[in-house]
Amino acid sequence: MIYLDNAATTRITPKVMDVLKDSMDSDFANPGAIYSIGLDARKKIERARDNISISLNLPPTHKIIFTSGGTESNNLFIKGRCFPDKKIAYLGLEHPSVREPIEYLRSLGNDPFSMLEFQFEGRLDLSKISTLADNRSRLLCLSHVNNELGTVNDPSLIINALCEGSPETRLFMDGVQAVGILKIPSQVWSGLAGYSISAHKIHGPKGIGLLVYDSKLSITPIIHGGQQQEGVRSGTLPVPLICAMAKAIELATERIDEMQEHYEFLNSRLVQGLNELSDKIPELNIRFNSLVIDDYKKQSPSIVNFSFYPVEGEVLLHHLEEKNIYVGLGSACSASSKKPSKILIGIGLSEENARCSLRISFSGNNTIEDVDIFLEEFSKAYRKLYLTFSKNNNAK
Amino acid sequence: MQNRTLLIRYDEIGLKGRNRRHFENQLVRNIRNSLKRIKNIQIEKIHGRILGRVNLVDAENAIKCLSFVPGISSVSIGITMEPDFDEIAALGISLVRDKLKQNGQLKFCVRTRRSNKFFPSSSKEVDFEVGSRIMGELSSEGLSVSLNHPEFTLEIEIGVQETIVFDNRVAGLSGLPVGSSGQVLSLLSGGIDSPVSTFKLMTRGCRVHSIFFDNRTFLGRGGYDKVVRLARTLNRFQGRGKLYVIPFQDIQVAIRDFCSDSNRVVLYRRMMYRISHAIAELKKCDGLVTGESVGQVASQTLKNLAAVSCVVPMSVFRPLIGMNKHEIILNAKKIGTYEISIEEQPDCCSIFMPSHPTTRSKIKYLELDEKRYPWEKLMVEALGMVETINLDDLDD
Repeated sequence: MIYLDNAATTRITPKVMDVLKDSMDSDFANPGAIYSIGLDARKKIERARDNISISLNLPPTHKIIFTSGGTESNNLFIKGRCFPDKKIAYLGLEHPSVREPIEYLRSLGNDPFSMLEFQFEGRLDLSKISTLADNRSRLLCLSHVNNELGTVNDPSLIINALCEGSPETRLFMDGVQAVGILKIPSQVWSGLAGYSISAHKIHGPKGIGLLVYDSKLSITPIIHGGQQQEGVRSGTLPVPLICAMAKAIELATERIDEMQEHYEFLNSRLVQGLNELSDKIPELNIRFNSLVIDDYKKQSPSIVNFSFYPVEGEVLLHHLEEKNIYVGLGSACSASSKKPSKILIGIGLSEENARCSLRISFSGNNTIEDVDIFLEEFSKAYRKLYLTFSKNNNAK
Repeated sequence: MQNRTLLIRYDEIGLKGRNRRHFENQLVRNIRNSLKRIKNIQIEKIHGRILGRVNLVDAENAIKCLSFVPGISSVSIGITMEPDFDEIAALGISLVRDKLKQNGQLKFCVRTRRSNKFFPSSSKEVDFEVGSRIMGELSSEGLSVSLNHPEFTLEIEIGVQETIVFDNRVAGLSGLPVGSSGQVLSLLSGGIDSPVSTFKLMTRGCRVHSIFFDNRTFLGRGGYDKVVRLARTLNRFQGRGKLYVIPFQDIQVAIRDFCSDSNRVVLYRRMMYRISHAIAELKKCDGLVTGESVGQVASQTLKNLAAVSCVVPMSVFRPLIGMNKHEIILNAKKIGTYEISIEEQPDCCSIFMPSHPTTRSKIKYLELDEKRYPWEKLMVEALGMVETINLDDLDD
């Protein structure tokens, strides 16, 4: 099996699995209990919290809240800070777990500010940051790494721009796709109001994530109960999942330079291979939707998104699936509609081009052979399908 | 453990003449098969009825199982007792008293069916004897008699061998027992209609196997999974059903690429009919079943139905032909397939569906189109790749 959809989720690594299994086996006690085995469980959580802080370079000004994953972290921070009518701004190219809580607040009378017209190459155009001050926006929500494109909003540049152009606006970032790919220095953390992380995107288990936030800020809880985690997020803490996430974050961050190099290697081979195919096959025109540059401050090397009109991405995906190759759609359709997602449309693609696209996303498990086999099978499938799809469009 | 007697009635079989025994025996076999998981249940055939001996707890489970057996008109859980008026009345009093406690007042009647003509009292006399005893005891507590609109009916069946008293009737599926009319092959899609047509033939005594035309290289495996679940749900009404899965993408692509746009859908269906006919012959099925209903979609006009039927020298049964969509949906809900059928399923209508499908196809043009692609060769290849799923093996 060749798995090239690591932005969707990743396979759990053996070292993380060992931690998970051991902890599942031994740490059953409720970490809120006051007898010794409960205290032991609590100690493990505190150790995991410390390790995560070290791995992520977190300053002491920031604290960690454990959640069920990226979606909950985004919901907790956005609703917990801005309910009901604190002014929010966003680019409009974020993951639905950022956009939908904002839409929910809109339904309650909030008036969020979409900056989609100020996007450039999938990123926020920093020269327009003063519009936030004009709008009196108190929170700017952005993806650190865009989940479909891999384009990067660099927090250090944005924080500096905010200081100058809109000092009242704080920055929240969905960092789900960024951990293990981009580093955040300690001083940059200090400027971040909040940041969300999910374990299953970095070879950890599903069902666990975290929210990092500036401890000066107060967050209104969205889950009420036994007052765990200082009441910000009630619910018995899952010790094994937390320990496993800490291990996954440790592994993802300790080899970040090595991994960047690895992704860059795979990325350039893929881009080069696609360009060669495009030259070789007259009827194939590749359009890269992610940026073809080796500047991590603008584009994550782990994601390549490209279009190949007129063949539909979904059909190509299923043809590759037959060969045991798993890739992502360039523009994921939501379950309830057949329309392509807002991200590719948001950066200016036509609906047809958005539909005719794939997203390749790498992990440390991928090899150059994976890329070569993908390229070969992609070109075979494309050639096979071209006649069918070109006829379809001629008929139109 | 209290013993109960299941009283299983059938209607249509009772109208049969000299071959009635054949149908009864088949129904008994099907009943035994449906109850095979209930231990210590004994099924016997008496004149005009089938009886089950079972304990009280299993009786409720048995009723659920029997609701899936075509041929049964209704089932009651009763108690076998001596034909003694005092004893029957005592039982009646305890049953009526429970109801009275809930309602405060109650209209009731006693109905007797006497197949033992040697029993000294007539049915009416039994009704009077038992009824008056119950009234004598409970009239002061709010019980009254209503022969036309009773809220509670105590029923007594006086047979040659035994007398059974009961106060409940659960309606069955009626029709004929599966296996009494031979085998047919149903063209099953993931939609709402074809599961209902499949079920309709089951209630006419047919064992219905299903065939599905799979295009997973274009649509993914979602459609296949859905049809397997539908087939499994339908197989609860019969057992021993099989699902044949035919890879259809090569045929569909060839028709799409080489034949006239407007004829596509009819051409797809002609190939489905041909392949179904081949499988039906091979598996000893004596007819095809489809979910077509006149005028529902473009391919189901009278002209197009004729253009499709003429490719197979075999009966094609269309039990939904005169039903409207609302009736079909009600049926689908009743048999438990509706919720599966309406699940979101990816489709590639945009590629395979013509923008203007013909509603009045002409055989000579269809035949001309069929000279443009090697349908015989593709059909042999598809038949060579058939997957057979034994639906009984999927249970558990």
